[in-house]
Amino acid sequence: MKPFRAARGGLLVARLDPAEARILGLLLDQLEQLLAADRADSSGDPVIERLFPAGHRSDPALAEDYRGLTEQALRGGKADDLATVRATLPADGGEVRLDGDQAGAWLRTSNDLRLALGTRLDIGEDTEPSEEIVDEGDHQLAVYYWLTALQGSLVDALVAGRAGRR
Amino acid sequence: MAGPLAPTRAPETTVEEHGDLDRPWVTIVWNDPVNLMTYVTFVLQELFGYDEPTATTLMLQVHHEGKAIVSSGPRERMEHDTSRLHAYGLWASYQRDS
Repeated sequence: MKPFRAARGGLLVARLDPAEARILGLLLDQLEQLLAADRADSSGDPVIERLFPAGHRSDPALAEDYRGLTEQALRGGKADDLATVRATLPADGGEVRLDGDQAGAWLRTSNDLRLALGTRLDIGEDTEPSEEIVDEGDHQLAVYYWLTALQGSLVDALVAGRAGRR
Repeated sequence: MAGPLAPTRAPETTVEEHGDLDRPWVTIVWNDPVNLMTYVTFVLQELFGYDEPTATTLMLQVHHEGKAIVSSGPRERMEHDTSRLHAYGLWASYQRDS
């Protein structure tokens, strides 16, 4: 991967290896299934609870109100972001070129993927990358840290671009 | 007839009084181990228009103290702010200010 950088014309540019692009595509498939799942079937799933947290922590009636008011729009927004990422991801690797709106979609979707993986892997403040990849858990942890690097570079590039516009 | 300043001053006062009545709701961002510090700072600037030092101070408060109040106002607006934070994956909730 060549991490994101701010390019001319306010564009954000990165380059993904073929394997990286394919892994990202698979992660998008999984997130899409998760977002499309019926609420009744997925309630209690810690990933869904993390992607759609309770709006109010101590008053279940208010939390239910909040869910009713917002969850459909939140799901729709995440699905739209995911579709934007898919449309701008070169399936077999290559250059990713994003305008501001598309970069916003990549930012939120890569964060959702990190939240989903981080929840499944039970990431804590002091979790560190595995030194060698032995089992499936090490693989997933490596993917998590790859996403962290990707998203981190996008944040940095957006901050640099914003400073450049001033 | 009132002077030229009077008409603008009067509505401002009214808004302020309503603000006091509706104030006791806040939006809180909670610490979580996944969201990047740079990302949280970026989102707070993007959504609330905070300058970089203010957003950084709030992010550090979330990180070190476990939570920070990022906005306050009427309940409906706090619901809205919470949902905007949820769209970015921040761990947020709203409540009556205690």
